[in-house]
Amino acid sequence: MDALATGSEKRNETPGHAAIRLVDVTKVYPLGKTEVRAVKGVSLSFDTGEFTSIAGPSGCGKSTILNLIGCMDTPTSGEVYLGGEPVSGLSDKELTSTRLEKLGFIFQSFNLIPVLTVFQNVEFPLLLQGRLGAAERKARVEELLTEVGLQDQMRHKSNELSGGQRQRVAIARALVTSPRIVLADEPTANLDSATGERIIDLMQKINVTHGTTFLFSTHDPQVMHHATRVVRLKDGLVVEA
Amino acid sequence: MRSSHGVPASRPVAAFNFAALFTLVTVAFRNLLKAKRRTLLLGFAIAVVAMLFLVLRSVSASVSARMIEAATTLSSGHVNVGGFYKVRKRGADALVNERAKLAALLKEKVPEAVGIIDRGRGWGRIVSPASSLNAGVSGIVWENEGRFFNSVQFERGSAENLKKPNTALLFAAQAKKLEVDIGDTVTLVIEGNGGQSNTVDLEVGAIASDIGFMSNYSLFVPRQTVLDLYRFNDNTTGVFQVYLKHASESQGVMERLRGTLAASGYTLMEHDPQPFFIKFDKVMGEDWLGQQLDLSVWSDEIAFVLWITTALDAVSFLVVGVLAFIIIGGITNAMWMSVRERTKEIGTMRAIGAQKGFIVRMFLAEAFLLGLFAAAVGAALATLLLLSLNALHIPIRNDGVRLFLMTNTFKVGVDAGQILATLALFSVITCVATIYPALKASRMKPVEALMHGK
Repeated sequence: MDALATGSEKRNETPGHAAIRLVDVTKVYPLGKTEVRAVKGVSLSFDTGEFTSIAGPSGCGKSTILNLIGCMDTPTSGEVYLGGEPVSGLSDKELTSTRLEKLGFIFQSFNLIPVLTVFQNVEFPLLLQGRLGAAERKARVEELLTEVGLQDQMRHKSNELSGGQRQRVAIARALVTSPRIVLADEPTANLDSATGERIIDLMQKINVTHGTTFLFSTHDPQVMHHATRVVRLKDGLVVEA
Repeated sequence: MRSSHGVPASRPVAAFNFAALFTLVTVAFRNLLKAKRRTLLLGFAIAVVAMLFLVLRSVSASVSARMIEAATTLSSGHVNVGGFYKVRKRGADALVNERAKLAALLKEKVPEAVGIIDRGRGWGRIVSPASSLNAGVSGIVWENEGRFFNSVQFERGSAENLKKPNTALLFAAQAKKLEVDIGDTVTLVIEGNGGQSNTVDLEVGAIASDIGFMSNYSLFVPRQTVLDLYRFNDNTTGVFQVYLKHASESQGVMERLRGTLAASGYTLMEHDPQPFFIKFDKVMGEDWLGQQLDLSVWSDEIAFVLWITTALDAVSFLVVGVLAFIIIGGITNAMWMSVRERTKEIGTMRAIGAQKGFIVRMFLAEAFLLGLFAAAVGAALATLLLLSLNALHIPIRNDGVRLFLMTNTFKVGVDAGQILATLALFSVITCVATIYPALKASRMKPVEALMHGK
């Protein structure tokens, strides 16, 4: 473990604040007969309400770390804690429930469900939860779509929207279940710089108003400077936290 | 609700979450519309097989219904209490003694019967100047045969004519072969118990429309004519025909009657599921003398033609089975293609919290809708085809086909139950064919599914 990682580990010594904690996490992928060590013993901690950028060149392990935090992948060794709870040993059903209840996701390619309208895409996680009635769902979705400036596009299909609008829908979908943490994997990579700026501004605004912890990966310096904290990775190691 | 790891467990989606179910169906329906070409091709294949299935099942059901109708109109009740009387070892008459006593007993013991009639039974040859043919002879009491006269359609002559002694009701095909018309005379020749031939001249009083091919072998004469021909006394008859509300009750009523009649002192023959005339040889070879009753149900009396429905059912299940096997392969393949195309969408759904079961249900819903709509189209086409053919009143001239279809003109009924069964069957088939790709889709790791195509 490098010195910087050890430095970040010190954050974890303050109990009760870490929304996310990675302890000596390693991820190894098989590649034919060889192995690729995507993440090499990373220890990191993120406090509630942080607006953090995970930066670094392609292949440095940004997406892998987001996937591990997002309960979509499991570490080869080490442990990931969400809200103080370890996620290793959770069944697929429990991991899926964790994603639904605690996490929001924003993807590089927006990943909207193409056959659903804007409203239905945002409503989808609420339907999976099955807790709210139709009127409550409608109010919640409309509130969020208004917040991201898409109140007039609710009945549109995703293919009728621009890239920036699609990413706004994805942001609303990520926030609709009021998750504690939103993970965004290169959220501006498929957008022009001006639109990308607006998306990051919107995420930052939501971070401030909702107190949601945001972790987003990027290799764009312009996007990076919006972050209150930048974690830099290189070759699967933390070089700046 | 929290799991052992403090993870909040989401409520099950499909059980009572109708909004999620609606979204699931919406996604499925729109995905079917999105993949128009594939949906149309698969739907067409399913519709064709469903149409074929419904046509074959309808033909089989119609033949079966006509068999029951023909049997219960011409030669059988739903349950029959007939019998044989032997006065010597090498002879037998189709005869039931103590007619009045047995009639009263049946009336008392089968209260659910909607009608009980008795007919004299015989077998003989009808001879005209032009030709001759064999037929089973039924001796009827005109006043008791309301059901029969309601069922037959008179082409020439009338039921009234049959009130006269020594008259005959022929069917159209018989009259044509014998080249006789109303008022003409035919001779009925029977072989009596003693081996002698008895004859009687009969005036053709009525000619009725054929009832399948079975009417070719049926002759109706007054009861007294049969008594006279066979020299039977008035307190005898050939068979009691018991009619029930539902043909399906026949077997149960017969079983019950067997017990009742045995308890009343009657000697019963072992149940032999064959028409009475086939039993003659067997009975004549037996050693007993006197009266034995023979109970049968309608299907026993037409057992010699039941192979037709059995064959039709076998053919339809074989054909549809083979075609279903082929389309199951096609559906599985197409659904797998759909899964591959939508891998990223599946990954997204799983990433944002859809459980594996949701993914399975989504693809099954898609398959169910495809099967249901395609089968509905197939059923509609089959119905349209059959109704159109029925409306044309196409005559069937080939004797083999007439025998097979039990009708002289093409007429196949379409039953709502058969349509519903077709819809259910093909919806289930498409769902079964989709289970494997749906399970494969649900088992994709979200992270790998999201990377698909990158």
